[in-house]
Amino acid sequence: MKRHHVVTALVTLAVPFVSLYGQGGGRGGAPVTNVPAPTSPVTGNAASGKALYSTYGCYACHGYSGETGARAFVGRWGNLATEQGFVSFLRGRANVAPLAPSTSMPSFSDTALSDKQAKDIYAYIRTFKSSAPELKDIPTLNAIVDAAKQEKK
Amino acid sequence: MAKSNKTSVGRRGFLRNAAAGAAAGAAALVSPPLVKAQAQSNGTGTPSPGTAGVPAPTQAQIDRETGNVRPPATVHTITRPGSDLMVQTIRELGIEYVAANPGSSFEGLQESFINYGNPPNRMPEFITALHEESAVTMAHGYAKAEGKPMLALLHGTIGIQHGAMSVYQAYYDRVPVLMIAGNDPDFIAAHTAHDMAGMVRSYTKWDAEPKTIDEALVAIQRAYNEAITPPMGPTLVVLGSEIQKDNAPNTKIPAYKPPVFVTIDATRAKEIAKGLVEAQNPRIAVGRLRTPEGVQRSVELAELVGASTSTAATGGPMSFPQRHHLCGPGADTTYDYTLGLEIAGAQASIIGPALAKTAATRDTVNIGFGGTVPGAGGRGGGGGRAGRGGAATAPPNEADAEASLPLIIEEVKRQLTADQKTRIQARIAKHAAANHEARVTAITQAVESKRAGWNGTPISTARIYAELWPLIMNEDWCLASPSNFSGGHHVQLWDHNKPYSYLGGQGAGGMGYGAPASVGAALAAKARNRIVVNVQTDGDLNYSPGVLWTAVHHRLPMLTVMHNNRAWHQEYMFVEYMAGVRGRGDDRAHIGSTLRDPYLDYAKMAAGYGMAGEGPITDPTKLSAALKRGVASAKRGEPYLIDVITQPR
Repeated sequence: MKRHHVVTALVTLAVPFVSLYGQGGGRGGAPVTNVPAPTSPVTGNAASGKALYSTYGCYACHGYSGETGARAFVGRWGNLATEQGFVSFLRGRANVAPLAPSTSMPSFSDTALSDKQAKDIYAYIRTFKSSAPELKDIPTLNAIVDAAKQEKK
Repeated sequence: MAKSNKTSVGRRGFLRNAAAGAAAGAAALVSPPLVKAQAQSNGTGTPSPGTAGVPAPTQAQIDRETGNVRPPATVHTITRPGSDLMVQTIRELGIEYVAANPGSSFEGLQESFINYGNPPNRMPEFITALHEESAVTMAHGYAKAEGKPMLALLHGTIGIQHGAMSVYQAYYDRVPVLMIAGNDPDFIAAHTAHDMAGMVRSYTKWDAEPKTIDEALVAIQRAYNEAITPPMGPTLVVLGSEIQKDNAPNTKIPAYKPPVFVTIDATRAKEIAKGLVEAQNPRIAVGRLRTPEGVQRSVELAELVGASTSTAATGGPMSFPQRHHLCGPGADTTYDYTLGLEIAGAQASIIGPALAKTAATRDTVNIGFGGTVPGAGGRGGGGGRAGRGGAATAPPNEADAEASLPLIIEEVKRQLTADQKTRIQARIAKHAAANHEARVTAITQAVESKRAGWNGTPISTARIYAELWPLIMNEDWCLASPSNFSGGHHVQLWDHNKPYSYLGGQGAGGMGYGAPASVGAALAAKARNRIVVNVQTDGDLNYSPGVLWTAVHHRLPMLTVMHNNRAWHQEYMFVEYMAGVRGRGDDRAHIGSTLRDPYLDYAKMAAGYGMAGEGPITDPTKLSAALKRGVASAKRGEPYLIDVITQPR
């Protein structure tokens, strides 16, 4: 376990090195985007998919609602355009980045996760919606920007 | 050195006898005739038949072992114990606190800490730790906040080994920690060793085991100096229980000689000053300096030469203030002279040699120990020809940057002409405007990203940091907990303007660091009207929860906000990945890497240690009010814990 902590520390330590104004760091740091959710057909069972999403640890990297974590996808969607595309994506993830596993998506073989289960998960993911209010409606964040705008004496 | 007066039976001999006596007692259970023999031996110490000539313990010895009585330590009155002199030596070094979990091997020292002097128990104040690992990590956190050591006391072999992980972390973090271990060779054999420090020597900078009081006083001073001299690190003095208790009426504390820091020479200082003064667009990359005074000097130099400056303040303590008007990329990112100050960073070594480059780059000068890290030169202001990587690619001058700064500053002052000063002021104005604009742009982008999952349940880690910031931005604050597992959102949202704004990572990546390091930082904060924020990962807290009691007991201004994702979440993700590689699915990845069934209730845990708190909070709309209560409590010196159920990251 400790080895992994060190590896993680390395990854996180490296983050500020590529930042502008010391502002790098932070998982889920990409700006919120508003790519519309896919409208392709869904055949799976979302209720079943909800349980699978938890059991198979999807939330670990994608958050409980797909909005946070290392790889948020609400508002981005990416590989989630179609059900079949999603299933294919799950099958081919192993060893994408073996030296940096914390950034890698685990693979799910059909012996580990059936097509039906994968489609159920997809159906559940498709129910996700952004819970992010408009920026103007979040006083806390606006206060932070306002404070930054004040000239530092 | 005065000789101590021992009791008639040495404690080591007593233990040996006690063990034999215990064996005899066990034998009596099956051998009735031995009961009589055993009884006959009690009180006399004479050999008991049937125990191979080994005497059974006396009643007095048994009483001593069971804690019923204390044997007379001496038959003479001790007027000036060696431990008083040791404490006076420590006091004169400016040590504010000594943290310890009690142990008989330093009972002489402990008695002096709490009773010697006027007022007693001040400079240093005795801090009660519930574990040696916590005591050392408290010292680790304190040193990162204050730039100087506090003391941790360790009890014999067992205390050293309890504290070993924390020593290792401090060593990797290059943080000065002063340690004293008691050694009582006449008591429990397992608690002593011929070479006590040997257990941690490979990750301790310096150690000694003085044999006399005079040597002990010198060793304490030397250990302090070794700890604070770059490359800094933990140091250990092993003090025998005898010399702690010996009478030393005529011993004098030796005059303290501060350490000599290695600096660049005058010629080099002149060259660097010339480079900075004559450059059209100089750049200074500031890494982790030793003390707040060093930070001040880096500011002075940057202002003198009008250099745009990068900072490591979002990654650890003792660096350039992030919101200083010269901190940022500046108006022009094509830098023609770059000076790096300790840009290797204290934790560079765990990044590994593969990332280090040592090729020299013209017009780039680095001062510091421990190699270089590509990219560090651009931290806090990136971009530009030499802005990222440029400063980091030159081999460092093996010298202490902080101690070298006065030489450079004096040379700069000597070389600057009136025309140059005028030109520099104009450059500073341009840099200030550009940096301000860069900051506003960066913060605007940051808040846009932080609204993701804003109203989600569990609560996003970004919202924790975002809600905290307006509550503390006008306070004197210190974020003492590592943020690498909690999203690091402060890096983007908060302003790191003080040497102690953010104390950085664990050192060696070990768990059990956040809470005790925060307690150490809170010790530093207590007398300075400062509050400490500890965004505490749940897995980490369970290594050393006892420090919550320490925080309450000593009335420390500390707010703990749980990042409770109910897991050692990084490990969970690793296991998920491994199961994926092997095609076995992730439905069992939680085994051994999550904290569920049952969930832990950290507000109740805190209450058990006497700490005020609330939670678990799952509704994001209730977070801000809870944080307000927490900040207010911490400001009153009443530590507070808020259990927040969070998104994993």
